[in-house]
Amino acid sequence: MTATPSWLYYLFGALMLVVAAYSVVLLLSSVATRRALGWDVDVSHLFMGLSMAGMFVTRWAFGGRDVWELIFSLLLIWFLVRSIQSLHRWGPHLSHFLIHTVMSCTMLLMYRFPLPASSGAMSMSMRGSRLDPGLSFLLAFVLFASAIFTLASPNKGASHHGTHAPAYAMSGTAGSGLSTSRTGEQATSVVSIDQLLATPRLEDMSHVVMCVAMGFMLILML
Amino acid sequence: MSITATRVSTPPAASVSSMGSPRALMVPQRDLQRTFQMALATVWLLDAVLQLQPFMFTPGSSGFSGMLRGLASQNPGWIAHTITWNASIVDHHPVSTNASFAVIQFVIGFGIVSRRTLRPALGLSIVWSLAVWWFGEGLGHVFSGGASPFGGGPGGVLFYALLAILLWPRAGSDQPFVAARAVGVKMAKALWAAVWALLALLSVVGSGRSPESLHNMVAGLNRGEPGWLTRIDASSESFFLHHGTTAAIALAVVCLTVAAGIFLPPRYARASVVLASVVFAVIWVAVQNFGGILAGGATDPDAGLLIVLLALLYWPLSDDRASAIDVASGAILVTQEGPPS
Repeated sequence: MTATPSWLYYLFGALMLVVAAYSVVLLLSSVATRRALGWDVDVSHLFMGLSMAGMFVTRWAFGGRDVWELIFSLLLIWFLVRSIQSLHRWGPHLSHFLIHTVMSCTMLLMYRFPLPASSGAMSMSMRGSRLDPGLSFLLAFVLFASAIFTLASPNKGASHHGTHAPAYAMSGTAGSGLSTSRTGEQATSVVSIDQLLATPRLEDMSHVVMCVAMGFMLILML
Repeated sequence: MSITATRVSTPPAASVSSMGSPRALMVPQRDLQRTFQMALATVWLLDAVLQLQPFMFTPGSSGFSGMLRGLASQNPGWIAHTITWNASIVDHHPVSTNASFAVIQFVIGFGIVSRRTLRPALGLSIVWSLAVWWFGEGLGHVFSGGASPFGGGPGGVLFYALLAILLWPRAGSDQPFVAARAVGVKMAKALWAAVWALLALLSVVGSGRSPESLHNMVAGLNRGEPGWLTRIDASSESFFLHHGTTAAIALAVVCLTVAAGIFLPPRYARASVVLASVVFAVIWVAVQNFGGILAGGATDPDAGLLIVLLALLYWPLSDDRASAIDVASGAILVTQEGPPS
């Protein structure tokens, strides 16, 4: 009989909710500061955080499987197109959109091939087919590598904005692209929230947490 | 100059927003030692997450402690006693011990990432690897004559320690190969020769050359593996049953050839690195089954992957590249089309 470490799933579920909440803050900040870059990553992290929290803890799950599959299919197509656009514009390079494409694809696969009931994760029920363990392992390894190389990168915030963001190029860090149209206390308030939370390191950290949690889920699917 | 001080610059905003044409920009020259450190950190992160599998928290013979206890057999009595003692502790406290093991591996993996914690993390990884080699791998079955490199002998975790030593941060050039940067060319070559000579020896001693033993080793791994890997295993089992001794001798010859290759001119040294990488990549897949990860319940990816990583550390670099890295300014002005990301 395999022991189910439920506290571990609650821990990962809670982390996913924190990432989702942080993504909401970043989205609001993007709207307030009219920052054009990184919102698509924030949207994807929001959906991934919410859905994975439901995978780790059953009672936190909501929404039908078909709805989630549709969302992650759209995200997959979006990031795939952005990756191709990036390659077309800048030539051969490792676009940051690629890892978000992989993450969207992973989420889609996790809904298409849910965990067997015996695996210990709490939300998914037994279905006939199973995701090939080789593919699970490969995706998990890619996600772990992304987590490590994101943390090690001198380009902080690149996991959200890439290294060609204008704000990035000017300051060496992303996430500081404030609009100059706001004035007075409102602008000061937005600036302080933005400077406090929309920091490249926190953005990278949310990506790292998401990669590790997703990789863990893939390992559970082996 | 410290290579680790090499910095990344990005194109100016105006040039990015207004043009996509070739232009002069500052791009980073990759620090290969740092890249390999990150690869090692990735493997440690994988290990940490593998430690979180439900099976690891399960007490009794069907759990992690049962797996540890099974390693005691075939070892000398006093070694077996220490392994059993450790297994009983894990059995009585499966959650706290296993969570601690996972945390240690997370600390090592993420510790390697930060330059400030790199040295302590690598030091901890050496200590931890040796402890795991003893208590978690039963000394790689070296004392029971079952440490065939086909099966991961002399213990995959030993290669973590070796990689930590060879990737110890040190300013300098990656010439003639990355491993030399940490310990010097002579010591690096000596370690290479020693490792491959040991692998050659272990290929042909004890049960390592027995067709039945090699066959059973693969057969024991393929439970729970996906269909495509089971089919590969069936071929491996059949091959070992009919040509086990020949395969063991051939592996020993390959290992000795690789050992000598590092002392030859770069062209032949590269060939030996390729030979080592290909042979152990095949072994990792067709014999070690990715360390059993795909069947669930594995604690690490086994030796094959790490030996390939080790071999790549010895890839001879061209003079051009090495001198490019050693430019004193720390950032090199080149002309290139487009930003890196």
